[in-house]
Amino acid sequence: MGAIQKEVVSFKGVDKIYNTGTVALSQLDLSIQEGEFISFLGPSGCGKSTALRMVAGLGEATKGKVEVFGQNPKDLIRNSNDIAYVFQDSNLLPWRTVLDNVVLPLELRGSNKNTRKEIAMRVLEMVGLKDYLKSYPRQLSGGMKMRVSIARALAAKPKLLLMDEPFAALDEMTRQSLQMDLLDIWKKEHTTILFVTHNVYEAVYLSSKIAVMSARPGRLASLIDVDLSYPRDRVNSAFTEYVDLASRSLEHSLNRKELV
Amino acid sequence: MTSQTATTNRSKLVVESSITDKKKARGKVKGTIIGPVIALVIFLSLWQSIPIVFDIKPFILPKPTDVLQAAMGDWHLLWPAIQITVTESIIGFVISAIVGIGISILLASSRILEVSLYPYAVILQTIPVVAIAPIIVIWFGSGFNSIVIISFLIGFFPVVSNTLMGLNSVDKNMGDLFTLYNASKWQTMWKLRIPAAMPYMMSGLKISCTLAIVGAITGEFIAGIGGGRGGLGYAITVAAVQLKTPYLFACAIAGAIFGIGFYLLVSSISRFMLKSWHESAMKVEK
Repeated sequence: MGAIQKEVVSFKGVDKIYNTGTVALSQLDLSIQEGEFISFLGPSGCGKSTALRMVAGLGEATKGKVEVFGQNPKDLIRNSNDIAYVFQDSNLLPWRTVLDNVVLPLELRGSNKNTRKEIAMRVLEMVGLKDYLKSYPRQLSGGMKMRVSIARALAAKPKLLLMDEPFAALDEMTRQSLQMDLLDIWKKEHTTILFVTHNVYEAVYLSSKIAVMSARPGRLASLIDVDLSYPRDRVNSAFTEYVDLASRSLEHSLNRKELV
Repeated sequence: MTSQTATTNRSKLVVESSITDKKKARGKVKGTIIGPVIALVIFLSLWQSIPIVFDIKPFILPKPTDVLQAAMGDWHLLWPAIQITVTESIIGFVISAIVGIGISILLASSRILEVSLYPYAVILQTIPVVAIAPIIVIWFGSGFNSIVIISFLIGFFPVVSNTLMGLNSVDKNMGDLFTLYNASKWQTMWKLRIPAAMPYMMSGLKISCTLAIVGAITGEFIAGIGGGRGGLGYAITVAAVQLKTPYLFACAIAGAIFGIGFYLLVSSISRFMLKSWHESAMKVEK
């Protein structure tokens, strides 16, 4: 199995120290394989968003190396559409319609106009917003905006999808339906997903692997393989066990910090 | 039978309540219109009676009726003067809009240019243009051209400072998004920074349009007759020298009415431009 799988992201001894002296990440080593759905789970300030930004080429490691498909992320985003990023707020351009927002990545890469619209229709159908092409973001609810944002990320057919607490600001009902849809998309599109969250239930429900992070300095506390079949049952006892496990290692990492 | 009456009663009730709603709505509109109208009537009657009661001569304080009489009597002079000032201000405003936005985009597209030139743009803004107006008259001769240039100079800086602020106020995440898709500098400018700056640009233009009129009238004070015929500023100077105070008032009021009209026009253009896209302009809807 290991021989067939391809490494998508690798962190090798990564440190990130900001100019202010804050140590955001310390000695992060992690390897992410193709097709995985991995969640970075941790309290705020544990550097999980920092790690994600480095994978997207939006930040650089102070020490160590981050590679995506064996390349420097900055070079990768310059030459390909392999990486897509979903921000915490939907981050849509308010002056563009839903359709125009979704085609933006293709437009910036200078692809053909007709194929652009075709692709946009396909991804909007995937997130269930085919009938809102001409709407403006302000006319949509928070959940719908996030769907458009996901559609925009998928439009460029990325091999790696990075998501920075995308559902944190949504209400529980909306969050659950988006989580289900996201799993469908993950299966359909065969992408690798890196998902940042501080919600234990969300991490267990979605991920094939959970990277639990501790705060200040941010480091990898433990790596949990979630060996449950999809779709997962939130009230199942096996599910609860994983939630306990993740919660305990999260608490453990917090306690250790307090002792220091 | 009884049920039928009940339904008719209910429908009557509904109709009545909708009527009272309408009445209320109409009452509200009436209130907002009637208040200012009453205030205006009181103001005008006070103004009308004070010169009579205290026996003030019309060349010191003319009554509203004197002003109206002067405006109608000298309409053949007033109307061309208005037309000239309107033309000068509009041309001055349009030039300051085009040049202002153009220069801002140029400055914002180069960090070096912006850093080295922006401080001077701020300093230039504080120079009272009236003070350098005579130089402009020396360079461009008295008349139309100088007046338009003065109007342009006064209206120009609010456009630059607002547009620049807008171009630099882009949300960080949106900037990251464009970086992620490897957008070129010009793509980021046209597809992100300029659209994001639109509300700022529009408020700059709204300030600039009233200033352009101030500029035109001040220009006429200094640069005199525009194209052989004088504008409102020129008419005001002449009226003041001849102690034709009622006519002077008429000129000033004409200028004010034009100012309000021009401002409303620019505001509605800006609302139209922002309508389809911006939250800031769309507060009314929610």
